[in-house]
Amino acid sequence: MMIFDRIAAFFDIVHHLAMDPLNLLILFGSVLMGIIFGAMPGLTSTLGVALLTALTYGMDTSLAMICLLAIYVGGTYGGSYASILINIPGTAAAAATALDGYPLACRGEGGRAIGLTTTSSAIGTTISMLFVVSISPIISHFALQFTSFEFFLLAFFGILISGTLTSPDLVIKGWISGFLGLFLACVGRDQLQFYPRYTFGVPELDSGIEVVPVLIGAFGIPQIIQVLKDRFQIGETQKLQRIIPEIGTVVRNVPAIVRSALIGVGIGAVPGIGEDIAGWVSYGTAKNTSKHPETFGTGELKAVLSTETANNACVGGAMIPLLNLGIPGSPPAAMLLGALMLHGVTPGPMITFEHPTFILEVAAILLLASVAMWVAGMLLAKQVVKILRIPSQIFMPIIGVLCIIGSYSLGLNIFNLYLMLPVGIICYFLTMMGYPIAPLVIGVILGPMADENLRRALMVSQGSFMPIFQRPVSLILFIIIVWTICSQFDWYRRGKERLMARLRGRRRRPAPPESSRRQADDA
Amino acid sequence: MMETDKLRKADIFSGGIIFLLGVWIVSQALKMPMKDSWGGVQNVWYVSPALFPLFVGAMISLLGALLIRKALKTVGLAGITAVITWLTSRELTAFLRTGAMMRFYTIVTLFASFVFIQIPRVDFFLSAVLFLLVFITTFYFDVASLLKKLLYFYLAGTLIMLLLFATGLMAAWTGILPFAADWLTLVFILTYAAYARRQVAGDAPLSRKFRLSLILAISAPFFIGSIFKFLLLVPMPTEGLVTIALDTLWYSIF
Repeated sequence: MMIFDRIAAFFDIVHHLAMDPLNLLILFGSVLMGIIFGAMPGLTSTLGVALLTALTYGMDTSLAMICLLAIYVGGTYGGSYASILINIPGTAAAAATALDGYPLACRGEGGRAIGLTTTSSAIGTTISMLFVVSISPIISHFALQFTSFEFFLLAFFGILISGTLTSPDLVIKGWISGFLGLFLACVGRDQLQFYPRYTFGVPELDSGIEVVPVLIGAFGIPQIIQVLKDRFQIGETQKLQRIIPEIGTVVRNVPAIVRSALIGVGIGAVPGIGEDIAGWVSYGTAKNTSKHPETFGTGELKAVLSTETANNACVGGAMIPLLNLGIPGSPPAAMLLGALMLHGVTPGPMITFEHPTFILEVAAILLLASVAMWVAGMLLAKQVVKILRIPSQIFMPIIGVLCIIGSYSLGLNIFNLYLMLPVGIICYFLTMMGYPIAPLVIGVILGPMADENLRRALMVSQGSFMPIFQRPVSLILFIIIVWTICSQFDWYRRGKERLMARLRGRRRRPAPPESSRRQADDA
Repeated sequence: MMETDKLRKADIFSGGIIFLLGVWIVSQALKMPMKDSWGGVQNVWYVSPALFPLFVGAMISLLGALLIRKALKTVGLAGITAVITWLTSRELTAFLRTGAMMRFYTIVTLFASFVFIQIPRVDFFLSAVLFLLVFITTFYFDVASLLKKLLYFYLAGTLIMLLLFATGLMAAWTGILPFAADWLTLVFILTYAAYARRQVAGDAPLSRKFRLSLILAISAPFFIGSIFKFLLLVPMPTEGLVTIALDTLWYSIF
């Protein structure tokens, strides 16, 4: 009965949201803005969500979520335009799409490819929405059993795994980035004793570092510097023909769609890992399971379909830990967390009690956003593509102004700008030296949670760490953390290889002859 | 991102900085109350505000040291010598003068002057117009020699403004002429536009780019600023000449 009640409540919310013309206007406007942000190389959906957060400050939570989720969904999908038409991924999420999308466009099938990415992205988002609705109550139920030790370990695990998987160079750099984020989170008066930490007597730092301006700086400023410093030029755009929904191709590839959606949801649910990894993993899996892997890279429709389903399914996947545990599943989700906090919504296990319909509302918005994205993609793709002709030297300075006014407007504090700019420049240098930014951002967000829960847990246990080994979830998380750390070192790999070789050797060693076995028994 | 070999060499230094940062975090954390009394409450180590920073600082130091070890294993001591040699050679000067580095200085200078000098003192609309005009023209022209000239011109103007603010002359002028800083910025914008126009005179494609830059530099702040100011009701960081004029216009209509 509860399931039916939930389904009924879900459709009621969908109906309620869809009946308000203002909601629809905001939904379509934000999706379109997201598509533009995704399509423009140099702009990302994370930056789109970051900048829009400032604009949604005055809106009510529901309208703000429509705005932010719609731009997230649109931005993830929009990246495929540039991938297909100019062979430059509009966002990292669409990098894998370029491998087969561009050859399709060169063959004069650009419209077909965009039609397919539009449909598969909408399906990916919708499937992930189903997971948000169905899995959330289960995770929420489990999360309610968590104590401070589990939350500390969960936050720590989020930073570690994000550092491990997003580092473009050495894994150590990903971890350093995460810990730098945790350090930034330490700045300000601590929550338990109100003691000023690393504030240098600056009163503006007493309340800690404002998360959203730091995030805008961390994502926006390095992007602007990189694009303009490297004189990024957009190449010749391939011609775009009529956009076809490609329903037939979709129906023929249902197993690939389901598999890609599951990959997307799974990867999205892992803290801090974005849509780009989902796209690549899905591409690799599609190639490995294909009967004709040699066609991949030459304009294979299945490849485009797999990557685009996965990266958009990641959106819903990222919502699952965000809503139920308060841990962002991807960088744009980190921005969403910041936005939710601004609106007085604290995601976590208590969300089902504090805001009983919130998760259903998010799922409903995801569904509406995927429909809006499909409609906008089918009708306006040709117009959006024209934006690709705008030189980056024109739009990047304007994005700079948006970053500045956006950071200022959240809190109406010029000090936010004094913080945003140095953070942005430091993040640029970190990016240049192979340090990923996502773990830093996750660190800034999860820092207070880790700090508070560590001390609260130790307070309850009177300074003992034993509960970590006595509580099953804590123990599992602890083992995963230790394994994540150890698996990155050479000595672990060497030991593992040696152990595997020994096990293999034992399995292959032929059985000793009867006489020698008897001799051994006698001995 | 840099190439792997260069990265490993740079890692020795970035690892060193990170290691020192970690040590500093720990040293500062050690000054925080651990077992002593704070605010009349007797502390225990596990609720101390120092606990988490100690853990974070120690981890940062450890990871910094591991990074140095990894980098040294890859490039060896010869790598450090090569970097030190490069740092003391003329190659460094040549590197710092490359086109890419000039563009980097320009971006940082523009942002820093906008955030630290203009926004807190000059009307937001005017400061944004100046920022965008300089930013778009220097990069959209896409000519290295022009970028240098325009940057130096802008730097000279900004230095004059900074001097006027620092010496208190601007405050004295404001007593005589209301919104003196805004008027001065307006003069700066007009002078810069005239200078840039003169630089591209005779070159039809660059002149076209200049016109487009000018249109965008003026229209974008008014569009963005008006949304924040009048639709989202966000007061501008500094409200002066233009904001007051726009206020009067907006509230006389609506």
